[in-house]
Amino acid sequence: MSEKTENPILRVEHLDIKFNLRGKVLHAIRDVSLDLYEGETLAIVGESGSGKSVLTKAFMGLNDINGWIDHGSILYQGKDLAQYKTEKEWLTIRGREIAMVLQDPMTSLNPLKTIGAQIEEALRLHQGLRGEAAKAKTIELLNDVGITEPERRRKQYPHEFSGGMRQRVIIAIALACNPRILICDEPTTALDVTIQAQIIRLIYDLVHKLHLTAIYITHDLGVVANVADRVAVMYAGDIVEIGTSREVFYEPAHPYTWALLSSLPQLGKKGEDLYTIRGTPPNLYNEIIGDAFAPRNPQALQADFVERPPFFEITPTHKARTWLLDSRAPHIDPPKVLSRIRKLGNS
Amino acid sequence: MLKYVLKRLAASVVTLAIVITLVFILLRQMPIEGYFDNFEKLNEAQINAKLANLGLTQPIFVQLRNFFGKLLHGDLGLSSRYSVGTPISQIIAQKAPLSMWMGLMSMAISLLTGIPLGSAMARSKSGFWDKFGTVFIVFINAVPAAVYYIFIQMYGTSLMGISMLFDRANPVTWILPVLSMSLGSTASYAMWIRRYMLDEMNKDYVRLARAKGVQSQKIMMRHVFRNAFVPMIQYIPSSIMYTICGSIYIESLYSVPGMGGLLVDVIGRQDNPMVQALVMIYSAIGIIGLLLGDLLMGVIDPRISFVKKEGAR
Repeated sequence: MSEKTENPILRVEHLDIKFNLRGKVLHAIRDVSLDLYEGETLAIVGESGSGKSVLTKAFMGLNDINGWIDHGSILYQGKDLAQYKTEKEWLTIRGREIAMVLQDPMTSLNPLKTIGAQIEEALRLHQGLRGEAAKAKTIELLNDVGITEPERRRKQYPHEFSGGMRQRVIIAIALACNPRILICDEPTTALDVTIQAQIIRLIYDLVHKLHLTAIYITHDLGVVANVADRVAVMYAGDIVEIGTSREVFYEPAHPYTWALLSSLPQLGKKGEDLYTIRGTPPNLYNEIIGDAFAPRNPQALQADFVERPPFFEITPTHKARTWLLDSRAPHIDPPKVLSRIRKLGNS
Repeated sequence: MLKYVLKRLAASVVTLAIVITLVFILLRQMPIEGYFDNFEKLNEAQINAKLANLGLTQPIFVQLRNFFGKLLHGDLGLSSRYSVGTPISQIIAQKAPLSMWMGLMSMAISLLTGIPLGSAMARSKSGFWDKFGTVFIVFINAVPAAVYYIFIQMYGTSLMGISMLFDRANPVTWILPVLSMSLGSTASYAMWIRRYMLDEMNKDYVRLARAKGVQSQKIMMRHVFRNAFVPMIQYIPSSIMYTICGSIYIESLYSVPGMGGLLVDVIGRQDNPMVQALVMIYSAIGIIGLLLGDLLMGVIDPRISFVKKEGAR
């Protein structure tokens, strides 16, 4: 919510990613375009399987080998990462330019190496630090991520840390790489609710202190509201709506965003049933025609089943892919329950 | 740590005592005919004299007490039938070193070929090495050892132009028996390291290491291989220990004068003191091997602690 600039640091254009699974082709990312501005925090939300992780892993060449970029480009500093093939090329990006915090801290650290050794591995690779210098920097990093007694803790093994502490170590490893972009792939999903807020706060503070550009992948909309400058909503491998946090939360335009926000438990009232989205996401093995969300949308228009809607610009920063924004479309009001979001935001 | 080791040692001694006592009692249930070469021709007085000479006429608990009493002084007793009157410790001291050398050499070969083969298999999953290794492992496990042992002996010796029998002084004759002995473990080391490495390769920390920008070659060595090797380390002390016992089949095939087959031999001849001594040695070796394996794991894997943690869940 500060330091946001107008320069895209990363530019994704018409990206298509496919996977070959047992002879069948799965279309995981469907024609996604996205600009990531330097210094911003972008949140990508969507349900499981919507392609959030696959999209961001593509920025680092970390998708499994049965996946490939069918077409499109990922422009970063004048280079098209979509053309990268060899490990040598990717090593210029991984960690060094873009670092990642993974979902499950319990399994993301090597159980047989001290956490100091694991941080120093990154320091050696990306900052060329060895010996005493690496040790000093490790202690500094552990301090930064809020681990007390870093001199003692760096000699300990992952099993001597709790989940929240391990996630702090993983954040320290990501920072040790000295990246420009930090991707946090559901960094709090595996943690205790009480710890989640602390970790989010920590990432938020560090991102601002170190002037990083951050991508937050999550399905917890509550997290998004607090940390993100912009929010992209993904559904079935496509971005259906993107805008500033304020726009997406207060003036959502896509029926899927409506449904997603309506299912926030915080909006529920005592005695009322919680909102659920009926049906299941489409099968990505099949070709999707029209608006992917239409079959689950009770108010879907006929056009939704025929042709994929283009992005309609609502404001210069707010875009949504829905025929509802077409001038010929009937007027459909968002669910009433969404008005409660403003109240939540104000309190 | 020391407390844990002492506890384990004490438990081992108890286990050993139980094993020996059981074997001791079972041996006394054997038909007495077995103690004689010419049972039919002897009269009762002669039989009783021999049995008394062997100490078998005393009540079993007295026999047991005498046995343990001698054992405490390090005396394994004398062979009664295998090599009458020779101290058992002397027989074993004569035969064990050869078996041990051959065993250690075959183990070294197994480790030095099996581990690289298995890790090459894990890296080239469904590539050439994986296919080659799978064929090798399936072959070794599916074909009875006796079959390929004999083939190796027949074709190997004629190819090398040497005698079929082992000759201690001629190092060339060591090659085939040692190689044959190593094949089984080579296959199992390859199979297990491949499996453990594939397990490790799918773990999240490998993903994190990749995201950190570590080269895959280095991830393989520093993270995957190292971690996959830990569960294997546990079995190494026991396999070293077992090599001392020698390979029954290989030793008889090449007429190697080692320990292999000694136990079977003395059971057949009902040489009670020898059976007792050998069973005790073999059990002790097994128990110590397991203990060393567990301790080694504790040294290498930081998650294993022998000390009870305060307030640990």
